[in-house]
Amino acid sequence: MFLDAGTLQIAGESLDTGWFLYLAAILFVIGAVGVLVRRNPLVILICIELMLNAVNLTLVTFSRQLQNLDGQLFALMALTVAAAEAVVGLGILVDIFRLREVEDVDELSELRG
Amino acid sequence: MITAIFFIASLLALLGAVGVVLFRNPIASVLSLVLVMFALSVHFLLLSAQFLFAVQIIVYAGAVMVLFLFVIALLGPGRELATSRLPRQGWLAVVFAAGFAVLLVSLLGNLTYHQPASTNLDLFGTVEQVAIGLFTTYLYPFELTSLILLVAAVGAIYLSREHRS
Repeated sequence: MFLDAGTLQIAGESLDTGWFLYLAAILFVIGAVGVLVRRNPLVILICIELMLNAVNLTLVTFSRQLQNLDGQLFALMALTVAAAEAVVGLGILVDIFRLREVEDVDELSELRG
Repeated sequence: MITAIFFIASLLALLGAVGVVLFRNPIASVLSLVLVMFALSVHFLLLSAQFLFAVQIIVYAGAVMVLFLFVIALLGPGRELATSRLPRQGWLAVVFAAGFAVLLVSLLGNLTYHQPASTNLDLFGTVEQVAIGLFTTYLYPFELTSLILLVAAVGAIYLSREHRS
């Protein structure tokens, strides 16, 4: 039964499912621009968190649209992985900053042969 | 009313996201991201994800963002260089992002949605339902996430240990 039924009934009012998805897409693109444009490694990590949040919103939206809780559980797992990623990323940054001040991620190019 | 709440929260989320990218000061970026998280938690409530709403505020806005603030306070806000080493990187990034946005929007425009038969949402997204899912169907992935957290904690301690050479 595939119909064009992308409306959600919330407390008696109907909202378009697409609105949530468009919002998540715009947030993801803004986060991607931040990762590409900003030079400070800390801010790049922050922008990655923004992108992860946008994806979580998509998962929860489809979970609600399909009335299937798996999407919410997956969003929960993604949240855990995001927390672990932030911890390890910040640990690496603290370790690098102990050696020297980094103002630009492009300075970290020692691995280039 | 619900529609108004949705649009106000969406506006706050978009303003916060733009702030994350545009603020020169990393602390302002983090606080801007906290605004995005709170706005998205409102969306989670609208989508009847009550448990995720609480987790979003406690774990994300509470714990992860405070961790970011701690690290920025530890390392100093840092100056942002105006120019990058790659020429015209900003313009290339904007062109890429515009193309990506057009792709996403055109994909979303042609979407048809599957409408499930049942419409009983009284228990959808409650802690009870989430727990039933986590501890029965997805018990194995749930235990694996605890392993991920353990590995991350050990890795963070290893990375931030004192160097004695």
